[in-house]
Amino acid sequence: MMAAKIRQPGWYRALAFSILGVLVCLGLSTGLRAAFSVDPVYDGESVLQISLLMVPLFFLGGIGCFDYWLRWASGRTVVDDHADHGAKSWRDYFKVNTDHKVIGIQYIVVSFFFMFIGGLMAMLVRAELAAPGRQFVDPNTYNGIFSVHATLLIFLFVIPVFAGIANYVIPLMIGAPDMAFPRLNALSFWMLPVAGVMMLLSFLAPGGSFASGWTAYAPLSVDAPIGQAFFTIAVQFAGASSIATALNFLVTIITMRAPGMTFFRMPLLVWANFSTSLLVVIATPFIAASQFMVILDRALGFNFFNPSGGGDVLMYQHVFWFYSHPAVYIMMLPGFGIISEVLATRARKPVFGYRMMAFSLLAIVLLGFTVWAHHMFVSGMSDWIRIPMMITTAIIAIPTGIKIFSWVATLWRGVLKMDTPMLWATGFIAMFTLGGISGVMLAMVPLDIHVSDTYFIVAHIHYVLFGGSLFTIYAGIYFWFPKMTGRMFNERLGKLHFWLTFIFFNITFAPMHLIGVQGMPRRVSDYAEQFATWNMIISLASFVVGLSTLIFLYNMIVSWRSGPKAGANPWNSLTIEWQVSSPPPIFNFDAIPSVVGGPYEYGVPGAVHAVFDEAEPEPVAVGAGASASEAD
Amino acid sequence: MEAASIPSPVGHEGEHHHGPPIANQSSRVNSEVLGILLFIISEIMLFGAFFAAYFFIRVVSADGWPPGEGLPVAVAGINCAILLSSSVTMHWTDVSAKRDNQMAMRIGIVTTFLLGLTFLFIQINEYLHLGFTPETSASASVFFGLTGLHGAHVVIGLLLLWMSAVRIFKGKVGPDHHRGLEVPGIYWHFVDAMWIVVFTTIYIL
Repeated sequence: MMAAKIRQPGWYRALAFSILGVLVCLGLSTGLRAAFSVDPVYDGESVLQISLLMVPLFFLGGIGCFDYWLRWASGRTVVDDHADHGAKSWRDYFKVNTDHKVIGIQYIVVSFFFMFIGGLMAMLVRAELAAPGRQFVDPNTYNGIFSVHATLLIFLFVIPVFAGIANYVIPLMIGAPDMAFPRLNALSFWMLPVAGVMMLLSFLAPGGSFASGWTAYAPLSVDAPIGQAFFTIAVQFAGASSIATALNFLVTIITMRAPGMTFFRMPLLVWANFSTSLLVVIATPFIAASQFMVILDRALGFNFFNPSGGGDVLMYQHVFWFYSHPAVYIMMLPGFGIISEVLATRARKPVFGYRMMAFSLLAIVLLGFTVWAHHMFVSGMSDWIRIPMMITTAIIAIPTGIKIFSWVATLWRGVLKMDTPMLWATGFIAMFTLGGISGVMLAMVPLDIHVSDTYFIVAHIHYVLFGGSLFTIYAGIYFWFPKMTGRMFNERLGKLHFWLTFIFFNITFAPMHLIGVQGMPRRVSDYAEQFATWNMIISLASFVVGLSTLIFLYNMIVSWRSGPKAGANPWNSLTIEWQVSSPPPIFNFDAIPSVVGGPYEYGVPGAVHAVFDEAEPEPVAVGAGASASEAD
Repeated sequence: MEAASIPSPVGHEGEHHHGPPIANQSSRVNSEVLGILLFIISEIMLFGAFFAAYFFIRVVSADGWPPGEGLPVAVAGINCAILLSSSVTMHWTDVSAKRDNQMAMRIGIVTTFLLGLTFLFIQINEYLHLGFTPETSASASVFFGLTGLHGAHVVIGLLLLWMSAVRIFKGKVGPDHHRGLEVPGIYWHFVDAMWIVVFTTIYIL
């Protein structure tokens, strides 16, 4: 009985493989140390670092991510019977599944799980900062809490939740039965909980969790206690997950669009994820490399960041920001796509300047690679880099401005339905504009030098990531909730959630601009007496923001279980995902639809985006991805 | 893909088909080939970051180059020739698959694999006789970082070639079933091309 369970892919086998993995790493570490006669032969930190790298692979193997590929690699004939496709009960969501709709929901739920944990850490940060002096935690723990807060919310929430929404929606939107590589898709998902759990486990490490911020600058991260290794390695798994998904999106969008779906008939969410995926595929390897170098310095005594060995500390920042500046667009462009969908549908108007919206996304992708050193104005890098970076950073406001003005023009004289998704979308436009303006201010070298490492930076980043990205995520979750669950959320609770968050978000983060300009430093657990009043107000407001998320959680859970049934198309939307049932059938379509017009022809009498007919299939139709019944 | 010859959406499984509708192919590029090309872009950027480290440490910080007493350029040059010739045999294997020449395919994949293995063996042997380690200096770290990263890619490439070889020897690769050879082949060519860049920057310049 037990042996049979361990042979099947699943949690039993994952547990058994993980234990096996730890033993293998123990053997590997002691064996190698004995072979190179390092004393002592047993070293706990060495075993731990090797385990962090390898045990996740054993876990992924145990849970069943590699079964099909290993069968294929062993030369057997592999027939895909779609046994792992689709969920029949809630238990199937805890298994390796190849259905993009199941994976999308797995992504979203796991991301929100880490969002609540990361949010809880924000509450701890605000509790500590409610008054000057020490309240609850010592400075090192405080450093750990804000570091894990940022890391979780960036790598385990904003980036993957967008991937989750896109996973669910994009194949439906472009008329594809699934993603191009469904098994790779499953692997991308399962790497995420691995990364998130690893980051959380760092609190148990001797010396505490990683505490060098989400940027983990060297040489601080090289000399930090072992908890830092959890960050260094977890980021590799999150990064690998995001590269694999991006590659999957690109191949899906390029090769699997329905007949008639030209690039300029694609909904802007598809464009947005196309652009984001380009950024991920090109930029993410840089953070992987930066963390590889840190782990080599830490574990094997390399000298990449050791100045006394000839290493270059600033090089870390260059490599890191060459990823992490594009990463801010990775965290924003999918949201731009969501907003375009919501605004056009709820304002009953075509998106203003559709082509410019698409081109501006590509412009942001290109320009995004030319601005990284604006994060380093005070780092001591060569002076001559500053001015070009200031100029390119200011230029990137132009494509972003095109988008903002086009959204406003989309609203102009529209028939606005101010329901929950629309509130979040319009709230986003206002908040993101504010965050964008402080961003252009920060591009200016003198101002940046003045407010570097102050709460002005904290205010800016939360206006763009909370008021920006998170608002779009909420808009998207509410917008596609009926499609994903087949049920309607509670509109009153949705509006309450929006207004509470919107008002108290501003009370939390707007004053940070002021105290930042006055010089309150970020990333410090204590501050001068003069900032006490504002900090108390900020902390109280932030707790309301935290509580308002519970309304969201309640609304989602209760509506999913017992909300009123939503029809196939509650928003009267034209795009393809709304033309199938809610939730969609297991293979999305009985026959692939044909696209006959633009995606946003609202207000045009008789306008249709796609037609479903039983006509002759296209003569060029060939199997791809999920439909390939035998791999060759 | 064999389904291409059957225009019916039912596919070749006939009445047993419970699967999805067959996706429209909206590009002439095969999805597996496009996938590996995009992955190679990622890989190029990964190397790019290590080349950035090379640039900063060699040029900006001006840590002395080469590390140690000078690098064994001749040995590395011979090794370079070995790896490049494996690209030729890889291409031959690929062509043989499309012509359904099973014997040539087997000889080709084994030769490619052995050439790759020889490269790896010579590289490790070189490491042991260099006279410096990554701990010696930042330049040494860059040397081991770049060549080691490339070596890791050779290992991954060899694993992929092994899988192709298994399928070739089981007779599963032919003119209609060659993606499992073509895709690892593209990766192998990338590993070889990247070595030219690594070799030039590390040993020649």
